[in-house]
Amino acid sequence: MSTKAEQSAADIKKISTYCYQCVNGPDLLTVEVVDGVATRVEPNFDLRGEHPADGKICVKPFGLVQKLYNPHRIKRPMKRTNPKKGRNEDPGWVEISWEEALDTVAEKMNAARARGVLDEHGNPRLAFTTGGAATPFKYMGSFPALLFAWGPFDQSLGAGGTVKCYHSEHMFGELWHRAFTVLPDTPRCEYLISFGNNIDASGGVTGVRRHADARKRGMKRIQFEPHLSVTGASATEWIPIKTKTDSAVLFSMLHVLLHETPVDRLDVEFLKHRTASPYLVGPHGFYLRDPDSKKPLLWDNASARAVPCDTENSDPAIIGSFMVDEAVEIGADDETWTHRNIQADTGLEKTRQLVAGHTPEWAAQISDVPAATIRRVTNEFLSHAHIGETEVIDGREIPFRPVCTVLGKSVNNGWGGFECVWAHTMMQVLVGALEVSGSMLGSTTHLAGDTDWNRLLTVEEGEDGFMTHTFTPTSKEEWNNAPINRHAQDCLTPMAGKNMGAQLFGSTTLAWLRLQERAAESWPKPNPPDVWFIYKCNPAISFSETEKMNDIMASFPFIAAFAYTLDETNHYADILMPEATDLESDQLLRLGGGHYFENHWESEGWALRQAVVPPQHEARDFSWIANELARRTGLLEAYNSVINGAGCGIPLQGEGYDFSLDVSKEHSQEEIWDAVCKAASFDLTEGREVLGLDWFRKHGYKTRPYSRLNWYLYPLIEDKNLRFELPYQERYYRMGKELANRLHETGVHWWDRQLEEYEPLPVWRDLNKLWDELIEKNHNVRAADYPFWLLTGRSMQYAWGANVGIQMMKEAADNVFGHDGIIMNTGKAAEMGISDGDEIEVTSPVASTRGIARLRQGVRPDVVIMLAQFGQWKTPYARDLKRTGLNKLVPMNQDYLDGGGASIDGTRVYITRVGGRH
Amino acid sequence: MTRYVMVADLNRCVGCQTCTVACKHTNGTPPGVQWRKVIDVEWGEYPDVERLFMPVGCQHCADPPCMHVCPSTATGQREDGIVTIDYDLCIGCSYCVVACPYQARYKVDNPVFAYGDTPMESEAARFDEKRIGVAQKCTFCADRVDAGLAKGLRPGIDPDATPGCVNACIADALSFGDIEDENSNVSELLAENTWFQMHAELGTETGFYYLWDQEPSGDTDDE
Amino acid sequence: MNRFYTVLQTSWDWRAAVNFMFGGTGSALILIIAIASLPGTPALPAGITALVLVGLGLFTVWLEIGRPMRFLHVFFHPQTSWMTREASVALLLFPVTLIGLLYRNPAIVIAAGLLGLVFLYCQARILLASKGIPSWREPAIVALIISTGLVEGSAVFILYLLLSGSSMQTAMLVLLPVLLVIRALSWNSYRQRLIAGQAPQQTLSILRDIHATTLWAGNITPAVLAAIALLIPVAGPPAGAVAALLALFSGWHMKFTIITRASQQQGYSVGKLKRGRPQIKPPVRRKPDRFVF
Repeated sequence: MSTKAEQSAADIKKISTYCYQCVNGPDLLTVEVVDGVATRVEPNFDLRGEHPADGKICVKPFGLVQKLYNPHRIKRPMKRTNPKKGRNEDPGWVEISWEEALDTVAEKMNAARARGVLDEHGNPRLAFTTGGAATPFKYMGSFPALLFAWGPFDQSLGAGGTVKCYHSEHMFGELWHRAFTVLPDTPRCEYLISFGNNIDASGGVTGVRRHADARKRGMKRIQFEPHLSVTGASATEWIPIKTKTDSAVLFSMLHVLLHETPVDRLDVEFLKHRTASPYLVGPHGFYLRDPDSKKPLLWDNASARAVPCDTENSDPAIIGSFMVDEAVEIGADDETWTHRNIQADTGLEKTRQLVAGHTPEWAAQISDVPAATIRRVTNEFLSHAHIGETEVIDGREIPFRPVCTVLGKSVNNGWGGFECVWAHTMMQVLVGALEVSGSMLGSTTHLAGDTDWNRLLTVEEGEDGFMTHTFTPTSKEEWNNAPINRHAQDCLTPMAGKNMGAQLFGSTTLAWLRLQERAAESWPKPNPPDVWFIYKCNPAISFSETEKMNDIMASFPFIAAFAYTLDETNHYADILMPEATDLESDQLLRLGGGHYFENHWESEGWALRQAVVPPQHEARDFSWIANELARRTGLLEAYNSVINGAGCGIPLQGEGYDFSLDVSKEHSQEEIWDAVCKAASFDLTEGREVLGLDWFRKHGYKTRPYSRLNWYLYPLIEDKNLRFELPYQERYYRMGKELANRLHETGVHWWDRQLEEYEPLPVWRDLNKLWDELIEKNHNVRAADYPFWLLTGRSMQYAWGANVGIQMMKEAADNVFGHDGIIMNTGKAAEMGISDGDEIEVTSPVASTRGIARLRQGVRPDVVIMLAQFGQWKTPYARDLKRTGLNKLVPMNQDYLDGGGASIDGTRVYITRVGGRH
Repeated sequence: MTRYVMVADLNRCVGCQTCTVACKHTNGTPPGVQWRKVIDVEWGEYPDVERLFMPVGCQHCADPPCMHVCPSTATGQREDGIVTIDYDLCIGCSYCVVACPYQARYKVDNPVFAYGDTPMESEAARFDEKRIGVAQKCTFCADRVDAGLAKGLRPGIDPDATPGCVNACIADALSFGDIEDENSNVSELLAENTWFQMHAELGTETGFYYLWDQEPSGDTDDE
Repeated sequence: MNRFYTVLQTSWDWRAAVNFMFGGTGSALILIIAIASLPGTPALPAGITALVLVGLGLFTVWLEIGRPMRFLHVFFHPQTSWMTREASVALLLFPVTLIGLLYRNPAIVIAAGLLGLVFLYCQARILLASKGIPSWREPAIVALIISTGLVEGSAVFILYLLLSGSSMQTAMLVLLPVLLVIRALSWNSYRQRLIAGQAPQQTLSILRDIHATTLWAGNITPAVLAAIALLIPVAGPPAGAVAALLALFSGWHMKFTIITRASQQQGYSVGKLKRGRPQIKPPVRRKPDRFVF
């Protein structure tokens, strides 16, 4: 920091900034600048004691210096001179001035706008794609304000989202407990069951630290996963579960809790009053409701009759079947049935019946996990739940339930994701370990609200005693029959909702499939966008069945790429614009609070990323680019207005303050961020301090205390007398029925497979059998010929960092086993005559790839692993590593999409030995 | 007296390599040279497998084989136990490299840069000709320790007097301090945990302790 | 044994190996010819051959060091470094040998021969002190290096005699098989000790691969041939020549293999767990540097 710099020699400075190369950011760091050259990074030690990991930074920011000076960077804007686009075509890049680049881009934008922001199919003519779980937005300065000033823009052309995300958790987690993702309350958790959750690779600095502390404290982690990940390495137990059988084990765990455990050992009070367990379910699958108030009925043990769910002093029955005198049942499209003297089960009773046959013995046959292990783990989970205990935080008493279950990426997206997400949340519900001390917590919200820094703001009383939620409407009157973008999330995936980020949760696979004319047969093929902006993403590598991506991208009329180096996607671009990278650009961001994975702090505030050296060559700060394009497209006023709104993270005008910009004028990036800094500091200090850009440049960040009570949703749920919407999914079921009606009314039958998922309680699916069926149906092959599962694994060194061309990251990653090849089981390899270092070919139903076999004991014999995302053929440096990526092999096909439009980034493959040791 | 040692808690380490790269930043080592790194190992046979991450590097032995074999006296040892290399004396014979049982030493005969023959600005700024053709290894960041001590800081406690890898460790797995001080951080860690020294049978008496709680089972001889 | 990353050392390549090959042969040759020439002194070409061998070995080592212009620093650490000692002995070996040969002084030549033996011993100790390489630090390597040096020296002397038209000395034809038997026993014991000491698998496997050749072609066959040369004078020169060549090249091959291929490093391992505060051994340098043999 500058204070330290003052003590040192005049030519050495330490400048505060942050890294947000992944969702776990920002990591605050200092960069040493010697004679104007950034030489090294260090943690910002000023955060010791405040940051949950004492201000440490992860491995990735150490790549930033090389990222800055990488000679392969695009140095000035370039334009394509070869109009023919193709993988084997040389784009004929020539350097041009920024003036020409911006004029060209603005001209294309203006032309598109002149034709109308929507094309004849109603799709936006402007599309924007980024990667890294939207973390690139944390680098885009005021550019998002330009996009929002523009009007509708399409974000459906994904780079990996819905295939490489926790999609079911996003969808249902937010509905149930405002959990875009879930995490254990690790600092207190005692027993953690993980199904492939690779937290030590994906949880960032705070995740690693909190878990290391928890292990030291004695927390047990039981890791079910097909290969022994870095997280499995430090687990108490590794259980090599068969791929895609997690739901079987989870269902059998529910069986143990609901059939082999006395009910009074569960958290009965929680189930009665804070969940929908007692709600009575009618014969059509919808809640029985009070004929007058239409409120769901529950059986009150005290009065021995059915009463509305909000009846005071009731003693709800949670298990059992009860005779109800009079009730109505409201189905899809307001279809109503009136019942008299009808026998009805509670929601929890339905759940109990659902898992009746799913015994541990049954699960053992499917999953390779011994029944005794399932019973033992479940009972340990139960005994660690401390049911009945409480903890007082800031004067408020809340339950203490230090147990948690978490899922990995490929466990909770695609088919089976719903089952897993529901079942693991039910594990929590049965012991009352949801959103209370020590238990499973939600991280943040993107679907339920636009306030991702404070999910508590989204907790409002909705219908039936539950929280509100933002589904896309499915009623006849409100359903949108004309998709507003290429993946039609508003038509097909109502769970994605309608908030700002909703587009990111529609089926991005479907958008690409439609462009390839491989899906949605009754709908016309969408036009490619007139103007496609791409930034920090590489769908040509990171999406599925990547070889098919090339032709589609080559057909796009105009691609404007913010480009760091040449890569496989911007190979098809028309204009390349070098943007200022991490250490060269400015942006103020929220810090701390409760956020993403394990990023729960006891303080919150704002931090500045700033240029520690001027941008290299002719790279430009995103805010500067946004300004230039805003002016050239005549959107300056709208753009400024968006910035004044909250386009840069916080409104510039609010109660007691006004730092808003004159909308009629152009403002420099410094002026914009100065105003943002002032508004943020005013808001943070409740008006006591107004700190401008210069202050943040010097000090880096500003925080205030944040109560741990804010980590938990439970106090609010209790205060508002709400219930978590579990176990029974009546709203979801109704939504599915309505959606089916809407789609069938408009002649859409190609989404029927996905509609099957809209069940009130998820019925267990045999996913291995499903895959057998699907690959035989779609690829004309014999499933038995594909005996291996090809899976991927998180690489902490590479994930989200857009750093595959950084030598130092490669060097660090190579110390972690398997980055340089394909991991397979030693014994299985021996059986097949494969030695460590041999070249092998891995073939899926859609493609094959070659790589080096790297043998390990810690992987199932029927599984092979390709870490990270390789397969580059253009990106400098990465291209020469000749590493193998899985994406090319993963089939992209509508059948693999689940009800939410997501699929897994894994596939069935076979393996052949090609050559000797390398 | 003072004897600096490092303690690596293997129950904490997750092999993230943050220490590896932090060391590279702190000490400006060229590509391929890792004074500190974390190895990724496993033992046992499927399905009974243990995977372990182990930070390695110079162990700053009390009785260092490298120092004894060094013909030029370039390798030395300070009173505080830190094993040093005088780059001006070293002839680059690599005898120390083969004498070190911890694979801690490197020799780079020609300048190496991340991207080809031309150094990036950041590499040029940190390039040290003295290190060409001589042995190099972890110094326990002796320069940081000394600079910190001169400012009255406490090695292992204050970042500016502490090795870069320890400062960077996100799992709080690495600790540094004076083992001859009974109340130091490292002494307390050793008193409270089970631990081992690598290759103790060689009598090197390392200044590097590993906290760990399981004896390995089965045979591994992993290249 | 749990051990990880027992990778091959690459710091010492053929250049270092040549020093052990030629240096070992040359230094032993001086000793052999010094004794064999008693009461006289060896012919100058024989002595020069020995010195050239030693010199070539040192030259290739010089090619390997990273800072060749600083080669004089090699003499800085006689207290403990066997490399300093080897270099220092070499420094004496050249003038003493030359003086002995030129002045035809048997006593000085014998002194040179003893220096040669010390040089050979230093080479063995250089390897023994390399604690990072299990196949080098094995104590049995000392006997192996010395015995093979003597075999190689004897072999070169026999070849020298044949090439210079002199008759092979009976003593040499007796000595060679005796030394070959000693070398074969040393080789066997070296391998057995490595197996018992759990040297890296790769090391053992490479040594196993060369074992038959080393034993049969390198030791037993030349010993038999030497015996034939001794007993059947008519077959003497060819049998002796083949015996010497086999003895020489098998020694070089063995050493080349041990230095460049069977030299896997110690690797990393998880050790035996201990509890409680460790007994602290102070850094050795707190005491003044003393001469350690």
